Amino acid sequence: MIVNSVIILPSECRGCRSCQLACSFTRHGVFNPSKSVILMERDVETEHMAPVILPRSCDLCGGDPACVKACPYGAMLVSSAPSEYKILIKE
Amino acid sequence: MLRPKHWTVHVDLSSGKVTREIVAEQTEQTLIGGSGVGWKLAAERLPAGVDPFAPDNLIIINPGLFVGTLTPGTPKTTVITKYPTFASEDGRFYVGASTCGGRFFGIALNQAGCQHLIISGKAPSPVYLRIRDDSIQLVDAEDLWGQGIQHVTNQLVRREGPETGTMVIGTAGENLVRNSLCIVDKFNSLGRGGIGAVMGSKNLKAIAVNGTRDIELARPLAYFDFAQELRKRVYAWPRREHWIKLGLAAGWDTFKHTQYPGIWAKDEWDELYGEKTRLETVEEVIACNSCIVSCRLKWQIKGGEFDGEIGFGSPFSKSATSGMLLGVKDFRKMIHLVADANANTGLDFYTTTRIIDFATLMYEMGNLSKEDTGGLELRRDYDTYHKLYDMMAKREGFGAVLADGWFRLKNEFDLDPQDYRYSGFCKGMDFIYDARPSNLHPLMMSFFTRPRPHHGGSHTRTNSRNKTLEEIREQVEAWGLPQKTIDRIFTETPYSGKFNVGRYTKHMEDMMRVKNSLGLCSIFSYQGLIFGNDLAQLYSAASGEDLTAGEMIQRGERISNLAKLINARDGFTRKDDRVPEIWFKPMDSPEGKIETRDYFNTKVIGKEDAEKILDDYYDERGWDVEHGIPTPEKLEALGLEAFSTDALVKTAG
Ligand code: SF4
Ligand code: SF4
Repeated sequence: MIVNSVIILPSECRGCRSCQLACSFTRHGVFNPSKSVILMERDVETEHMAPVILPRSCDLCGGDPACVKACPYGAMLVSSAPSEYKILIKE
Repeated sequence: MLRPKHWTVHVDLSSGKVTREIVAEQTEQTLIGGSGVGWKLAAERLPAGVDPFAPDNLIIINPGLFVGTLTPGTPKTTVITKYPTFASEDGRFYVGASTCGGRFFGIALNQAGCQHLIISGKAPSPVYLRIRDDSIQLVDAEDLWGQGIQHVTNQLVRREGPETGTMVIGTAGENLVRNSLCIVDKFNSLGRGGIGAVMGSKNLKAIAVNGTRDIELARPLAYFDFAQELRKRVYAWPRREHWIKLGLAAGWDTFKHTQYPGIWAKDEWDELYGEKTRLETVEEVIACNSCIVSCRLKWQIKGGEFDGEIGFGSPFSKSATSGMLLGVKDFRKMIHLVADANANTGLDFYTTTRIIDFATLMYEMGNLSKEDTGGLELRRDYDTYHKLYDMMAKREGFGAVLADGWFRLKNEFDLDPQDYRYSGFCKGMDFIYDARPSNLHPLMMSFFTRPRPHHGGSHTRTNSRNKTLEEIREQVEAWGLPQKTIDRIFTETPYSGKFNVGRYTKHMEDMMRVKNSLGLCSIFSYQGLIFGNDLAQLYSAASGEDLTAGEMIQRGERISNLAKLINARDGFTRKDDRVPEIWFKPMDSPEGKIETRDYFNTKVIGKEDAEKILDDYYDERGWDVEHGIPTPEKLEALGLEAFSTDALVKTAG
């Protein structure tokens, strides 16, 4: 499959931050969430978390997104659907 | 490749002064890093005989070395302090370690370059500690003092940002309730035995951390590749699917046998507190940082007087046991208390509910009078329990007595905690499990052999009763133990059966020191997913120093000895590591008589058997068996002469 975007399913996210760590490691060779292009959105009342990919920074790791591979809970999927920002959010 | 540099950061709350030092390479080479190094800091800087509430007591916070790397289940931080629980009739206190996970706290500390955060002194007025990389400030917290944990956490996250790691105390900690704990990142509890009160005594309401540095590794690619392999192994675990559905709500089928207090029939318990109640209450299962199984829970109470109430943590097992002890049939009422303890007071649910049960029993038997309780009638009903819970958190009336714990009841009213009907008791603390329904497995032993009577992350495969000798052997081989040692563990004895729990416990505790130093969650060792040799391989890549599993566990042993020595200088010996009396009184339950049995369930263990098992534990440690403390020869072999009790007393004096 040709990967054109990443789909995020916020309701599946458990907040483990594996996606952030995989992202920074793939892009910079270090573990550092603040160097990843993923921010965690945190609803502090419900403690629900979900990743937000900074639109213009993600290059889909050249077609094999590290975050998707790292997510243990199926909250990120690859898709062939084209999208201007390479990210699709599915509620 | 160079070994990454790690830092000790010392914050003195009295003066506001912050100092930083690099941890010497040689220190990590002997003590691993993380809490291993934390114990050395405690040995050097925590004065002997210090009162837990004195400004000189230290809180030493150590995120594991692997926290913030993409390794399955490595979020853990270990905190060392002198706990305020009265650990003996003559008012001694132990120095112990508690461990917690979290989504933000440990990783933020590592990223802020606080591998060892030492807090001393006492702030003149309530503060929280704000850490943003190198910027460390004490921030006025008058507005947060008196507020519940959840409210304060929400405030801090709003102020400091969504990825802020938090460690917060509740009202019980402020009021110096001796069992009070704190809550990390809202889902993880830390420090039964009183870390909450130690923070309270320092006027420290919370710690809020953010960091942006890299987590440095000597050989990042080798580390990453092996961590990926471990992830694959955990994904292939057959029980993963069930586990990720229920988290810590899973496992009722085992739990109802191993943690059965023997008052109701099991069928009735099943009906009132069983799997059905869990399924209807769990809303979400939450993961700690980098965890690929997840176990923390968010729940919602459905129906009843607390309808709609949401809670964070893990409420089920503890409320089922205490629900039976207190005779509360509506599980939602007990879960409400867990929610309140986690969100507001920070009372330790185990000790609080059990000491209430004990006081009520003593009242019923006429050993405690209405005069003793300040006019309060201790009735066996939920409203009275709730009232006592509130009074404890506020230290009001008789609540102030309960807030001081078991030995205050002993000293003031001559009520012996050894008479309490469930769990067992040692060094001022009730255990979370009882050996009679569970069997005398190694975790049970570590409750009284450890300086602090709690498991502290020692779980290994042997926590489940149905493991075979082969499975246990596979695990100890992977710890890198020499064949001679392994043979000793599996030599049959008349008192311990085919599996020598005393000898095994020594190595299990050393392994726990390794895991806690690295930050590995014990669920992974408990389920047989990650072993000692895996940790050695990761450590070699992380530090650049090639190490075998055997060398790793030797460092764990060094840490165990150091922890014991610090307590020995305050007079803790074998007489404090006392096997609980209640384990040798059969439980008369509706299911029949339940007695303490050996791991493989082949025989009843009597008090003399237990003492022999304890002899074996000290012997395996190479300690003085009579006194239960390290010998000079042992210390020399481990290179710890400088920390001998005499030397420590000198340093402290
Ligand atoms: S998207 Fe997946 S990997 Fe990222 S935090 Fe959520 S569950 Fe973890
Ligand atoms: S199993 Fe639970 S405590 Fe352990 S790391 Fe995962 S979520 Fe945290």
